[in-house]
Amino acid sequence: MEIIRFIVPSIILLISVIYLILTFNLPESKVGNPTAAMNYPLLIGFSLLGLSILYILSEIKDRKKIFEAYKIFSDRELTIKVIIVLVLCLGYTFIFERIGFLISTILFLGALLFLINGRRKWLMNIIVTILFSFISWYTFAELLSVSLP
Amino acid sequence: MGVDWNSFLEGFTTAMSFQNLIFIIIGGLLGTVVGMLPGLGPATAVAVLIPITFGMDSTSALILLGAIYYGAMYGGSRSSILINTPGDGSAIAATFDGYPMTRKGQAGQALTLSTLASLVGGFVAIIGFVFLAKPLASFALQFGPAEYFFLLVFTLSAVVSLSKGNMIKGFVSMVLGLLITTIGVDSQSGVYRYTFDIPHLSEGIDFLVVIIGIYAVGEVLYNILLINNEDQRIKDDVGRSWITKEQWTRSFWPMVRQAPVGFLVGILPGAGGSIASMISYSTEQQLSKKSDEFGKGAPEGVAAPESSNNAAAVGAFIPLLTMGIPGSGTTAVILGALIMLGLQPGPMLFQDQPDVAWTFINSLFIGNIVLVIMNILLIGFLIKILKTPPHVLYPIILVLAFIGTYTLGYSIIDFFILVIFGIIGLFMKILNIPTAPLILAVIIGHQMEQNYRMASVSYDGLWAMITASPIAILFAVLTVASIFLPALFNRLSRVKVDNKG
Repeated sequence: MEIIRFIVPSIILLISVIYLILTFNLPESKVGNPTAAMNYPLLIGFSLLGLSILYILSEIKDRKKIFEAYKIFSDRELTIKVIIVLVLCLGYTFIFERIGFLISTILFLGALLFLINGRRKWLMNIIVTILFSFISWYTFAELLSVSLP
Repeated sequence: MGVDWNSFLEGFTTAMSFQNLIFIIIGGLLGTVVGMLPGLGPATAVAVLIPITFGMDSTSALILLGAIYYGAMYGGSRSSILINTPGDGSAIAATFDGYPMTRKGQAGQALTLSTLASLVGGFVAIIGFVFLAKPLASFALQFGPAEYFFLLVFTLSAVVSLSKGNMIKGFVSMVLGLLITTIGVDSQSGVYRYTFDIPHLSEGIDFLVVIIGIYAVGEVLYNILLINNEDQRIKDDVGRSWITKEQWTRSFWPMVRQAPVGFLVGILPGAGGSIASMISYSTEQQLSKKSDEFGKGAPEGVAAPESSNNAAAVGAFIPLLTMGIPGSGTTAVILGALIMLGLQPGPMLFQDQPDVAWTFINSLFIGNIVLVIMNILLIGFLIKILKTPPHVLYPIILVLAFIGTYTLGYSIIDFFILVIFGIIGLFMKILNIPTAPLILAVIIGHQMEQNYRMASVSYDGLWAMITASPIAILFAVLTVASIFLPALFNRLSRVKVDNKG
C-alpha cells in the first residue's frame, strides 16, 4: 500500500481539526447571541472533518489500485524547475516593494524566461522581458493610474 | 412580465458606442489568445485579465470581461481542433471530430464550422436570454434568506455532483472554499476569526487572489510539469476555409436544434458547457444517418457541440445576472469580477441598473458577430499566435497574476496567499480534485453565511428553515436529489452493463 496517497487526505483532516479547535476558542460575541460568530464555522468544521475521514476511507478502499497521481513529478528536471519557479515567486515577493515594480519585474520575468524558455533563446527572452515590463508598467501606472511601487 | 424593450434598445445603443466596440474587439482578441493556450480556459483568461478593467466604468468593464470570456471560448475550440488540446471542459467535444478533420487536411473548414455553430448557438441563446431574464429576476425577488440559503446550497451541491472526479473530493473542495470565507472579522458580531493577528487578514482573503492563484498560478505550474509533452506541431496550411455545401447541409440542423438544448443546460447550476456539448454530441450521433462517421471527422460532430456550448455559455449568465448565482467556475470568476466592480448581480440588477444588464446582453450579441468576423478573417494570424511557444506565454501569465494580485489590495501578503493557492491548485489538479466547487464556495460563501444567520433568526432550527416556503422545500429537495441521483444513475448503468456482460 502506498502511503503517499494518504498525505493530502491527512492534511485535510489536520486542517479540519485545527479549524475546529480554533472555532471552539473564538471569543464570544458581545452583541446578540454570544455564539453567533461560531455556529456557521462549526457546521463547516464538522463537515470537513467528516469529509476528510470519508476521503481517507475511500483511499483505503482503493488501496489495491495503482496510485499514479504523483507520477507527474517523475521528471526530476521539470519538478526542480517548478520548485525554482516557486522560489522565484517568493523572491519577487521580497523585492517587489523594496526595489520597485520595474526592476523587480524585469528580474523576475527574465529569470522565469531563462528558466522555462531556455538559455539558448536569450535574445528573445531579453526582448520579451523588457518590452513586457515596460508595457505593463505603462499600462498600469500611466493608463490605469494604479500606484505601483 | 416580458421584455423591457426600451432598456433593451438603450442597451444596444450603448453597446454599439465606439468605445465599447473597441473593448469588445480587444476583449475578444485577448480572450482568444489566452483561451488558445493549451490547458488554459476561459476561467484563467478572465482571472488574469481582470486587472485591466480597473479604472473603467462598470458597464465597459463588464463588456470587456464578457468579450474575454467569449473570446476564450472561441480560442478553446481553436486549440481543440488544431492541436487536440481543449482549453477547458466545454471544448472537449470539439476534439472528437474537429481534430480528425484537421488530420484529414480540413482544419480551415472545421474552424469555420465551429465558428458558425458558435454564432448560431450564441444567437439562439441570446434570444432566449432576452425573454427569460426579466421573469426570472422577478421570481427571484420573492426569495427570503431561507430560500436564498437553500438555493446557494443547491447550486454548490449541483456543481459538486456534476463536476468530474468523485463526489467526496468535490465536497472537500467545496467545504474548503467555505472555510476560507470565514476568515476575517465577522461583520455582524465584530469577532476576529482565524486572523492570527495579521491585520491584512481581518478583511478576509480576497476571493480574486484565490481565483488567480488556482486558475493562473496553479495552471501554469501544472503546465510547466507537462511542457515537454507538446509533441503536436501545428501546420501552417489549414486548407480551405470555405465549407462545402454538403458540410453545411449536414451541420445546419444539428447546430440549430442543439442551441436550445445547450441554452437550457447552461441555465442549470453546475451543468454548463461541458455537459451541454457532450449531450448535444451524443444526441446528434444517435440521430445521424451517418453515425459511423462520428469521431472520424463528421462536420455535424463539430457543429453540434460548438453550438451547444456557446448557447450554454449565454444560458449560464441567466442565473448569474438574475439571481447572483454562478453555475460554474468560470461564471463564478465573472461574478467575482462584477462584485469587485461594485455591481451586485441579482434580481435588483434588472430593477436598479437595467442599462448595465441590457448593455451587457447586447454586447454578448455584438461580441459574437465580432468574434466570427475576427475568427474567419484572422485565421492565419490566430494560428501564428497558437505557434507562440507556451514557454514564453506561461512566464508572462505568471507575472500578470502577480501584478493583478497587487492591484487588488496593494499588499505583499496577497503574494504569499497567491503562491499558496497556486500550490493548492497544482495539487488539486494532480489529485483530480475539482476546483470549481472551491472557487464557487469562496465567492458565495459569505453570502451563504449571512443568509443562514438571517434565516436562523427568523426560523427556529433547520427544519423550520427548510419548510419556510414551497420554494425553500423545492431547493432542499433538489439539493438532496443532486447528491443522490448521480450515484443512483451510476449504479443503474453499472447494473445494465453487468446484465449485458
